Amino acid sequence: MTEEIRFGVCIYNSERNTVCRFNFNELSDFVAKQSNVKCIWKFSSNKLIAINSLLGDIKTYSLNKLVIAGDFPGEVKGLFVKAAKASGVNLDNVILVDFSVYANLNGQSLSMAKKLLEKVLNGIEIEDSFSLSENPVHPDTLVIGGGIAGIQASLEIANGGNKVYLLEKTGTIGGHMAMFDKTFPTLDCAACILTPKMVEVGQHPNIEILTYSQLKSISGVAGNYQAKIHKKARRVNLSTCIGCGTCAEKCPRKAPSEFDASTTLRKAIYIPFPQAVPNKYLIDADHCTYVESGKCRVCEKVCPVPDCINLDEKDTEIEITIGNIVVATGFKIFDAAKAEQFGYGKLPNVLTSLEFERLINAAGPTGGNITFRTQDKKDNWVFEQGAGEPESIAIIHCVGSRDENFNKYCSKVCCMYSLKLAHLVKEKLPKASVFEYFIDMRAFGKGYEEFYERIKEEGVHIIRGRTATIKDNKGKLLLRSEDILSEKLIEQEVDMVVLSVGLEPREDAKKLAEMLNLNITLDGWFTERNYIFDPVNTNIGGIAIAGVCQGPKDIPDTVAQASAAAARVLQSIINKKVKVGLKNISHEELKLVKD
Amino acid sequence: MRYRVDANLKTELKKFGSKDWNECFHCGNCTAVCPLTENNFLFPRKSIRQAQMGLKNKLASNLDPWLCYFCGDCSKTCPRNANPGEIMMTLRRFMTSVYDWTGLSKKFYTSKSWEIIFIMVMFIAIVAAFGVFLAPARDIFSNASKYIAPESGGVLINSLVPGLNGHQFVKIIEIGDLTMAAIVASLLISNILRMFYFTIIKDKSVSVPFYSYFTEAWQLLFNFISQPKFSKCDNKQYWLGHFLLMSGYVIMFTVIVGLLPKFQVEEIFPWYNWQRILGYYATFGLLFFIVYSIIGRIKKKQIKFKFSHASDWLFLIMLGLTTITGILIHFFRIGGLPAATYIIYVLHLAVLVPMILIEVPFSKWSHLAYRPFAVYFSKLKKAAYKKQASLSEFSKAA
Repeated sequence: MTEEIRFGVCIYNSERNTVCRFNFNELSDFVAKQSNVKCIWKFSSNKLIAINSLLGDIKTYSLNKLVIAGDFPGEVKGLFVKAAKASGVNLDNVILVDFSVYANLNGQSLSMAKKLLEKVLNGIEIEDSFSLSENPVHPDTLVIGGGIAGIQASLEIANGGNKVYLLEKTGTIGGHMAMFDKTFPTLDCAACILTPKMVEVGQHPNIEILTYSQLKSISGVAGNYQAKIHKKARRVNLSTCIGCGTCAEKCPRKAPSEFDASTTLRKAIYIPFPQAVPNKYLIDADHCTYVESGKCRVCEKVCPVPDCINLDEKDTEIEITIGNIVVATGFKIFDAAKAEQFGYGKLPNVLTSLEFERLINAAGPTGGNITFRTQDKKDNWVFEQGAGEPESIAIIHCVGSRDENFNKYCSKVCCMYSLKLAHLVKEKLPKASVFEYFIDMRAFGKGYEEFYERIKEEGVHIIRGRTATIKDNKGKLLLRSEDILSEKLIEQEVDMVVLSVGLEPREDAKKLAEMLNLNITLDGWFTERNYIFDPVNTNIGGIAIAGVCQGPKDIPDTVAQASAAAARVLQSIINKKVKVGLKNISHEELKLVKD
Repeated sequence: MRYRVDANLKTELKKFGSKDWNECFHCGNCTAVCPLTENNFLFPRKSIRQAQMGLKNKLASNLDPWLCYFCGDCSKTCPRNANPGEIMMTLRRFMTSVYDWTGLSKKFYTSKSWEIIFIMVMFIAIVAAFGVFLAPARDIFSNASKYIAPESGGVLINSLVPGLNGHQFVKIIEIGDLTMAAIVASLLISNILRMFYFTIIKDKSVSVPFYSYFTEAWQLLFNFISQPKFSKCDNKQYWLGHFLLMSGYVIMFTVIVGLLPKFQVEEIFPWYNWQRILGYYATFGLLFFIVYSIIGRIKKKQIKFKFSHASDWLFLIMLGLTTITGILIHFFRIGGLPAATYIIYVLHLAVLVPMILIEVPFSKWSHLAYRPFAVYFSKLKKAAYKKQASLSEFSKAA
């Protein structure tokens, strides 16, 4: 005689709110309707159930299976294991159901949670439900985002002998890494290690780079997606442009350079940076005189190649079929002007770390000399060579990170890149005093703590305490903060301030998530299927994520994750099967289920 | 020096207002943003640390919370939403209860029912005392004109109780007033002595040079009158509102308690008389503050008003009722309504007396004494630090 199955279900609300928000009451009503559920506990992380009452319930209702369902159910597993041991319930019968994977855009993934619970309560193991069916797979792959993550994933897949479409929003691949001067902790020149990879991508027979393009829509099922791609008009023929630069020389219009973090100006017809891939010019329609007024055509006239520039080129759309998608869209930096106490945007010599990276870069606006921001003849604030060097620089950590007013999370990379910037300042201006203001120094990882020690030995003043205000004091900047360790108020005058801004999800990440049906956390990062054991797959079959779009991480981690994502893709191509999500249904259907 | 960690301190402090004592991660933002921060007096992080660590003795010797006027700048920019300004407010409540030897302060702050029962008992006692011992004449309704001064048309407020002439009536009220003032003063003085013991005597890290007790004494009056530190805060409106309230209250208190025979007279002065002008100023000051604070506490837009402890509301309600009844007495008197005047007069006292008995020695208003003394004591400590510093320099040189 088989024993009757009697479930005790715990609905656990971790109340972290970072991953998902459920209507837990509705969920418990649903669970209560299931026939073999005998007992339901509802509790949250700040109001746990006492073990004695748990034991009492197990005894009273003679429960033999305990289910913990919720976001981060592992947090209370210990309690249930203890109770199970004490009351003789087999430990295999303590089942975790993690909802965090099913966090939805608007926090309403109730139906998914219900489905998951229904399966568990009917005796189906959840891990099985993911691999219930497998789709045949198209061998081509779409990689969204041409930063280091996208480059790495593309190379891995292409080197495995498969076709890759590398989609990039801007005119060149390279992403943020191309803008950096050095990488920590090895102090490699970022461009020197990245550009060979970019060139490799550019020349790879299996990789088709789609620059200046964005994903418009997607349809199909896992293993066989049809993607519509919107290609913005470059107005310069990619195949005939020889990159001579005559057009840019004569072009009358200027615009802030995206690559130089707006510290310099570029022309309306431009090449993002000298090592761009593809190394071809493009026209920025938002700043082009011809596009605006219908007159000009200077570039067309001076171009030595006939019919290379087509000022009237229209945007086009192409459709590709792929089996797998790797999302590697990266991040944007925190808008430092939002943190008003630091005066960014008002005080000219308060810079973001990205601006400072460009300033300190040998290919940057001043050829690598650290100078003041000064006013040119037209009263624009610019960096010019010979403008005078700062004698003291302060670097402020955690700008826009670990701050409930902006982003609660730690951006993970700022401590280390701040230390790196301090080192670079010391290298270029040995006499300058450098101050670092931090809250907690997060130098985790191989060689990082040693790097921190090294920077300390270089004579950088590292102060524990968040800078509260920056005020203009006759051209100098007055920083006010508390030195926590000595419990003293510090008022320090410096010439220049660098704000170590945190990382944020891109503005269009939400839109992309909606299009691909991915889950995102409340912070806006894409959600992986399992934080620990499946950090690259998503809840949607055939879509993997890599790089900072999944959460802040540094370059080594990004590269590792991109390779892992590529491995998952290659695995599915080799097996000719792709594991699908909760149910073998098409995207359109899935959307209906989730709503 | 060793300190004992009180593991229950945070739980105890929760009853005084601020609910979350664990948010702070000690970045020092609040200290640096505060316009009042000076070395050795670091707002408010140091106090939060002491609370988090459960250092009750150290907290008791800490003067910082009294030096804060809650402008809210720290709370606005706090990266943890820990609301340091509110924590300082909570610590002020806590310290009031630490200084108070009767233990009533703690009861009033942590239990609404204690506070309300006390007020009700006092209210009923005063109404009953007037009803039994100072009942107005029976013909106050039927023969109202008898109690109205023929020339001014105002109510003869001191002549409504049969068998007592105006002088005797005022004398009785004055004795009551002075008794109340004596009780309040003795409680406050004894508590300030305790404050002195906790913050100066018991704090072994400082030894105050004797002369500074005299050289810094002017701080007491200066701070009491003008709150110079408050005016350092960025938002000057707060200082103005507080100044209006404070000056209005002091004027009213002086006039009612100290100068009652001159104030509560039968004669109705012309509007430009100095007594009436002062009275109007004080009433305006009180009303302005009450309305401003009530609107602020309902709207909760300003950080200062975001969280309201039960004692904050009770204070505003009691003060509001006192002020409104005071205004009504004034108008009923001028309007020649003896019965209404007397009833409101009794109600006015029945609200005023419990308010003063609770608020001044045990609750929110005790800061009128603790704040100036805290500034004074902090100057004493500063003088001690200065002496220590010069001594250590001297010994180095030697």
